[in-house]
Amino acid sequence: MNTDNNVKLTETAETSDYPYVIEMRNITKDFPGIIANDNITLQLKRGEIHALLGENGAGKSTLMSVLFGLYQPEKGEIYKNGQKVEINDPNDANALGIGMVHQHFKLVEVFTVLDNIILGIEPNTAGFLRKKEARRKVVELSHKYGLNVDPDALVEDITVGMQQRTEILKMLYRENEVLIFDEPTAVLTPQEIGELMHIMKGLAAEGKTILFISHKLNEIMEVADRCTVLRKGKYIGTVNIADTTKEELSSMMVGRSIKFSVDKKEAVPGETVLEVEHLTVKSKLHKKNAVNNVSFSVRAGEIVCVAGIDGNGQTELVNALTGLEKAEAGSKVIFCGEDITKKSIRYKNTHGISHIPEDRHKHGLILDYSLEENLVLQRYFEPQFQNHGMIRFGEVRKYAEDLIDKYDVRSGQGAVTTTRSMSGGNQQKAIIARELDRNHKLLVAVQPTRGLDVGAIEFIHEQIVSSRDAGAGVLLISLELDEVMDLSDRILVIYEGEIVGELDPKTTTVEELGLYMAGAKRQKTKGGDAE
Amino acid sequence: MKRNENKSGLSNLLAKPGAQSVIASLICILGGLLVGFIVLALLALFDKDIPFYDAISGFFTVLGGPFSAGNGKDVLFQMGNMLFSSTPLIMTGLSVAIAFKTGLFNIGAPGQYLMGAMGALIVALSIPTTVVPSWIVWILALLAGTLLGVLWGAIPGFFKARFNVNEVIVCIMTNWIAANVVSWVFKATSEQFVNYAETKVNFIRKTVTNGVSTATFGLDKLFGGSYMDISIFLAAIIAIVLYIVINKTTFGYELKACGYNKHASKYAGMNEKKYIILSMAIAGGLAACGAALWCLNGAQDFKWDTYQTLPADGFNGIPAALLASNNPIAVIFSGIFLKYLNVGGSNLAAQTSFNEYVSSLIVAVIIYFAGFSKFIRELLIRRKKENGKEKKKADVFLRPTSVLAEGVIEEPEKTSGEKLSDLQSDGADTAAEKANETAPKTEKEADEK
Repeated sequence: MNTDNNVKLTETAETSDYPYVIEMRNITKDFPGIIANDNITLQLKRGEIHALLGENGAGKSTLMSVLFGLYQPEKGEIYKNGQKVEINDPNDANALGIGMVHQHFKLVEVFTVLDNIILGIEPNTAGFLRKKEARRKVVELSHKYGLNVDPDALVEDITVGMQQRTEILKMLYRENEVLIFDEPTAVLTPQEIGELMHIMKGLAAEGKTILFISHKLNEIMEVADRCTVLRKGKYIGTVNIADTTKEELSSMMVGRSIKFSVDKKEAVPGETVLEVEHLTVKSKLHKKNAVNNVSFSVRAGEIVCVAGIDGNGQTELVNALTGLEKAEAGSKVIFCGEDITKKSIRYKNTHGISHIPEDRHKHGLILDYSLEENLVLQRYFEPQFQNHGMIRFGEVRKYAEDLIDKYDVRSGQGAVTTTRSMSGGNQQKAIIARELDRNHKLLVAVQPTRGLDVGAIEFIHEQIVSSRDAGAGVLLISLELDEVMDLSDRILVIYEGEIVGELDPKTTTVEELGLYMAGAKRQKTKGGDAE
Repeated sequence: MKRNENKSGLSNLLAKPGAQSVIASLICILGGLLVGFIVLALLALFDKDIPFYDAISGFFTVLGGPFSAGNGKDVLFQMGNMLFSSTPLIMTGLSVAIAFKTGLFNIGAPGQYLMGAMGALIVALSIPTTVVPSWIVWILALLAGTLLGVLWGAIPGFFKARFNVNEVIVCIMTNWIAANVVSWVFKATSEQFVNYAETKVNFIRKTVTNGVSTATFGLDKLFGGSYMDISIFLAAIIAIVLYIVINKTTFGYELKACGYNKHASKYAGMNEKKYIILSMAIAGGLAACGAALWCLNGAQDFKWDTYQTLPADGFNGIPAALLASNNPIAVIFSGIFLKYLNVGGSNLAAQTSFNEYVSSLIVAVIIYFAGFSKFIRELLIRRKKENGKEKKKADVFLRPTSVLAEGVIEEPEKTSGEKLSDLQSDGADTAAEKANETAPKTEKEADEK
């Protein structure tokens, strides 16, 4: 599909009452070997929510770094209210009223919210802080925009959502008019996302201009007024959200049309692969059990999804199954008729359990190893890859290139690329390739598509379904309701470490699922009879 | 998106990690020498007794190492001693380097060194060579010393693996425990081991008095009657073996994996605690083996009341490893190089009006600069990536962890891997990421259209 014919904005530059707060015209930014931004134009109207959409690596972050003064463009100019400006560092950007909420917050954890907000521009008399005044202003702003932040709480004690609102307050306190949100929803729970959307609308209504960087189409459709799409460093177009559809946006973003629902045949469950009985795992965070007396089973050829709000014991459940954490006495994990509760991780790896871990950087990959070294992470000791303790690098290379080809893992230098330099989507593809290529009867996939763009999500969903169709049992842990509904054959809802319901995705609704996830509803199931 | 093809030869060279390490080390050395020269010049300027010309000639004396000894015989003699004394330094350098590979900072090399020396000396002096052939005693002594070091190194490893106690703290404590244990053992057994034959005090008998000494194959005579023996070659062989183990074997793969990311290693089914202990044990064995090789030369005086000072060769293993970017083969050269400067320094004291402290200072400055080699390497990589056009400020802002010396400072536990590497990849790596994402598949997409 050719997207270049899409709506392009015609410039009508009037010097008086100039319509655009910020204009970035024809920005080109080169990196050695690559043009990250190729002649990109971005125009922000006052009081609008403008989305910047693009796949991982489309050039969104680079463009924002240019606007924020972190990079200098080779070509192109930036205008503020029609006046040409030079932005050489973040201080210049701040002075122009441009503020940014970074994806990973820049807060001092041991400071209070108030201290974080005034950090860098502390009101003082002869070096003595005058916090009272600052506090009043912060409370006022917090009320005005419905941010609901306690200025005296320590940052390390508050939720991620509240930390984000602290970042927003930081920008408001500095009286910024242009607020950049870099993938703000990636770290939030569904409820917090709803709140954030509400806050963003409120800010826009008060005349602030918001630039919203995202690759989540639903959120853009919900909150944005206009959307600029980038693809591979190039400007594709700017559209009014009211005149477009999710499908159109996605095809602009990836250059082809995307299936949103997963194509899959009816499941044909076979014999039971995994049988979990009375699994209990202690929590490291609180005194209660993270997983409390949970029992369920997974059969060959079906995708069982454990749905729930983040932090309800999913991580501990998986860790206990795969061996990363110890289960309490009385727990039983039976895999293909064999009790593997106390078996080592190596044993589980080599006897047919594949595991796509939740945190791909912490557990999934050794980022300083090359791609090929990561692809044999659980197999380097097999006779195919070693001979008397010496690694057979030729074989490793051959195997890796095979997998890279088969799973379309893209990287700068192929098999020898340092994994750290690869994009998140391709890192995840590498893990998928490694885990699915190993002989497995059970696939444990934890948030396999987290933080990925639609193209990669589509691919990974296909792979999981084809693994199921090949006869593996799949245990999927997901926080994304769409993914849960689309992919699973059976849904188990986990709430506070207990399975509170078993649902059929064909007969249930998202709303009902939500009630179970929030703990408002529960069934009497075999796992739910605790205490 | 098209890729730029106009790469010069230099930037191609800079792209290779090996070349970057070498260049970084050379920059450190040059920096150290420059500061050394400034010190010499300042001294010459302010001290009336030293003519300024001495600063320049003195500088070249240091730079010349053993070659500034004068006549050919002296050069050979100094060269032989330099090579011999490099052995323990190379071994402690290897010790530090292998621990670094597993993400551990082995600052316990001095203690391991002392234990190795003690083990080797006791065995070499207590088994009568009239009963057991001396070469067997030599081997037993070497093994005893090494084994003692293995055990000593395993202690911090064990505490790290079992109780997550920082290895630096335990290493420092075991250093002083070793120093006192050695003094105590030799004091208790003084009759048997301490050298009373000569008028010197506080030395252990030379092992040659029991007929135990490292084979020389005439090298000592070749190098003008110096201490030269085959130990430097043994050290070189050990370094090469270590290189192969680290880079070519499954064991090395596991060691490095645990060092880079212990969580992922555990996920992959490795016993990460085992490798922490093993890595420290091997490190301890290497440092101790270096000490044993030094003692078993036969003609060396070991000062037994060690409780007040720790052996410098133990600590100097750290700069030797850093200067070599933890590459075992490069450690051979960095170890020899540091001793080369030492020799140059003593020549400076002998031949000019500068005293020996100046030479120590120059060596110290170079060692100090060696600590920056990782930092300089990062700078080189950055410059390569950003084509020299970007503001450094932005980069430092985005890459807060880049300056950490490898393994010296641990990444904070609560920063998940994801956050950390996102921080890093957000900045300078974005370009590379983008290249990965799109470049290799352009043909495919063209087909689709």
